[in-house]
Amino acid sequence: MATRMRVIERRIGDVTILQLIGRLELETGDIILRDTINRLVEAGQVKLVLDMKEVTRLDSAGIGMLVSKYLTVRRAGGSIKILHPTERTDHLMDITKLTTVFEVFDDEASAVKSFGAATHGV
Amino acid sequence: MAKPPFGRRILVVDDDRGLRHVLSELLQGAGHQVASAGDGPEALATLGDGSGFDLVLLDIGLPSMSGLDVLGHIRNMASPPLVIVMTADDTSATLLEAVRRQAYRYIRKPFPPSAVIDVVSESGTPASALSIEVVSAKPEWLEIVAPCTLEMADRIQSFVLHLEANLPEAVREAVASAFRELLTNAIEWGGKFDPNRKVRISCVRTSRLLLYRIADPGEGFDIDKLRHAAITNPDDDPMRHLQVREEQGLRPGGFGLAMTRSLVDDLIYNEARNEVILIKYLDEGE
Repeated sequence: MATRMRVIERRIGDVTILQLIGRLELETGDIILRDTINRLVEAGQVKLVLDMKEVTRLDSAGIGMLVSKYLTVRRAGGSIKILHPTERTDHLMDITKLTTVFEVFDDEASAVKSFGAATHGV
Repeated sequence: MAKPPFGRRILVVDDDRGLRHVLSELLQGAGHQVASAGDGPEALATLGDGSGFDLVLLDIGLPSMSGLDVLGHIRNMASPPLVIVMTADDTSATLLEAVRRQAYRYIRKPFPPSAVIDVVSESGTPASALSIEVVSAKPEWLEIVAPCTLEMADRIQSFVLHLEANLPEAVREAVASAFRELLTNAIEWGGKFDPNRKVRISCVRTSRLLLYRIADPGEGFDIDKLRHAAITNPDDDPMRHLQVREEQGLRPGGFGLAMTRSLVDDLIYNEARNEVILIKYLDEGE
């Protein structure tokens, strides 16, 4: 029974920031990430920023879910941006060539701004 | 001890009165029911046949009776609780003896409070606890046989990583990730998450290399039929395999082999591909 990943959710305009805390791994964080993003997409919230600063462990299942949900959100007309990847997360994304798929940001304002207009207000 | 509606029934065993108090307060604050003992005999008297407790947080360096001896007694109880060993003594010999005596997890002192909360919340129940068969417990050659469950993967990784505690952080992280991917593959695809099936793990350490061998109970796989794995993707389409996985009803993933190949120096499968060896070469002094 692994520790469950926690997700803190907040909005900046029409962009949703998801702060992921804990293990994004098989049968733990991957399921929580899937369910969270599916719920947001159903609610029409498809501009998502994943803040990964506090992801303590990431495995291939977690990476797989990130990419799978990226495709889900793209099909719904939105996108997922990655914020504050740790050095380890950055390395894993690099060796799986996913740095060519995701836009990655070091500061939140730039990540939010990258979605374009209609993101004003908190 | 009556079972609380939420949380676990935990016995904290440590001769450091201050640490006992801090841990007890911390765990009670997290919703657990906690008792404490200052030495081995008091711990065994409190535990009785073990049925009143789910977990024991056990210090190894106890006066009069060592924690390892207490662990041995707990193992022979009618209803043994799970034992999480906590000690500043992180020598391989101590760790391996704890594994041999079926310690559930291992925490190295000093630890942050959150580590205790995490390891307690990650623990299963005594009824669900499965045994690790220790084939060889030499620091330079650890070999175990374990049931194919994800909980077991966490346990094994906890012990193996502590064995490599003296390696540079970057090497440890790379090896840990690679080992985790291969072990999870073996348990999921070879063992089908079936606790009646076993995975065999060997960890060999020399002055110049780390070698891990994982043998799963499955039939292996054909590399040419791995279109659901990222290693078969063309360079310009790192997500192609996800479409294949979706068509085959597989969970998202498939990056494990690609990750592992990049994290270690050599990755060698046997002919059937149900056994794999990973090697990480060490620099002088590592």
